[in-house]
Amino acid sequence: MGDLQTIWPAEASAFTSRSSSMRHGLTDLQRARQEVFKSFVALNVEPFARQWDREQRIPESVISLMAKSGYLGCSLPPHYGGRGWDIVTFGLLNEAFGRGSSALTGVLTVQAMVSMALLKWGTKEQKVKWLPPLARGEMIGAIALTEPDVGSDLQSLTTSLTPEGNHFILNGSKKWISCAQIATVFLVFGKLGKGSVACLVPRDSPGVRIEPIDDLMGFRAGGLAEVTFNHVEVPLADLVGKAGFALSHVAPVGLHYGRISTACSALGLLRGCLEESIAYAAARKIGDKTVGEMGMIRSLIARMGTDLEAGSLLCHNACRAEDDHHPEVFEKTFMAKYFTSRAAERAASDAVQIRGDSGCHGSSPVSRYYRDAKIMEIIEGTTQIHEEILGKMLVNRAGRLGR
Amino acid sequence: MNIELETRIKDTVRRFILSSIAITKLDDDDNLFESGIVNSLFAVQLMTYIEKTFSIEVGMDDLDIENFKSLNATTAFVLKKNGQRNG
Repeated sequence: MGDLQTIWPAEASAFTSRSSSMRHGLTDLQRARQEVFKSFVALNVEPFARQWDREQRIPESVISLMAKSGYLGCSLPPHYGGRGWDIVTFGLLNEAFGRGSSALTGVLTVQAMVSMALLKWGTKEQKVKWLPPLARGEMIGAIALTEPDVGSDLQSLTTSLTPEGNHFILNGSKKWISCAQIATVFLVFGKLGKGSVACLVPRDSPGVRIEPIDDLMGFRAGGLAEVTFNHVEVPLADLVGKAGFALSHVAPVGLHYGRISTACSALGLLRGCLEESIAYAAARKIGDKTVGEMGMIRSLIARMGTDLEAGSLLCHNACRAEDDHHPEVFEKTFMAKYFTSRAAERAASDAVQIRGDSGCHGSSPVSRYYRDAKIMEIIEGTTQIHEEILGKMLVNRAGRLGR
Repeated sequence: MNIELETRIKDTVRRFILSSIAITKLDDDDNLFESGIVNSLFAVQLMTYIEKTFSIEVGMDDLDIENFKSLNATTAFVLKKNGQRNG
């Protein structure tokens, strides 16, 4: 039976490590880093988030600061220039940034989506070439997946790659691409014949055109753009994963990290709603009573606080499952993103309601939270797509158990 | 070849698949992907399960439908990755 023990080293510990993590919560190092993240955001993000939202852009200086702090490659292994932080820490980073600016957190989101997909499915040569500059923030990535007429139904992509000599020719148009305005490399998804394919395309490749999309409701500083690829030459060496596996294996890995990031970012936004609402409720007086002394306001705040606690547990559970490489991590991440994005939207709506007139003005962060929160329910899979996938997972399992 | 080991791998993977997707029976050579009941998310879940359970890493070179199309194929892949196929 020695063979069995050699081949099954992980099976016995798969569940014990998870329960142990839940019992002990964050490690001292994770807590220490969380405090650093919060300080960074309080100093470098929150005071400027309104201005970025109004100007619909994020200055290079703050992205440069994030890069210097190692945030843009925090989960990549050190031998590729990353910090090698666990995913729980990555979640804490996204939560802290989500408290300050959803749009800026989007940079963390897409950088992780590109980097982690490449880490999983890239060739050794691709990893050596692309991951260190991504880890150091010298290169900003973006995922070019959604098309003007293709969103959730990815099998209907029309972007195409065609073999020509020793390279491919890329043609197609992508829309609603987060961070495309600042990205220096795109992970592009398209079709090669009937199969799907993913490839890396530098921004400065001949034939790449980037048109900024302004006047979004939320994530206004998210740098979204429409990206057109017109007869772009793609070397064979820049294909990521094998042809035919882009939508089944490469995209799900990227989207998975996108969901982790978005779930935790929404959690940060939810925390912002609660903190702003509590502060306002304690200070604002109607007659001789504070707003916080009114039962109807307390009800709204009670729901926010409870949602924050529940969302926090779901997010941390998903991040720990990822660190444990647990097969249920996808289900847990879907649940975390589904819950926190909806809870953030509810909380932002209530936070505006609590503040009344002043909550509807740009001088209050809750008006921005409200606009950003709605976007959370759409990116990395809409609420309805999450319901469809999660419902199917749960029903299938129940059906199998005969209950 | 260690028949007992092969059987245990196969049964372990079978239990995971049967507990995750809406089928009641899975024979050793049933093609998972031709059946149309396995979606891309499950393909990645299955890969993650195999990586975790057998402490192997599925990389770019392993992206071949032949490696995961059936229980027999998956078992052979796990054995190959562990260098025990001919051990």
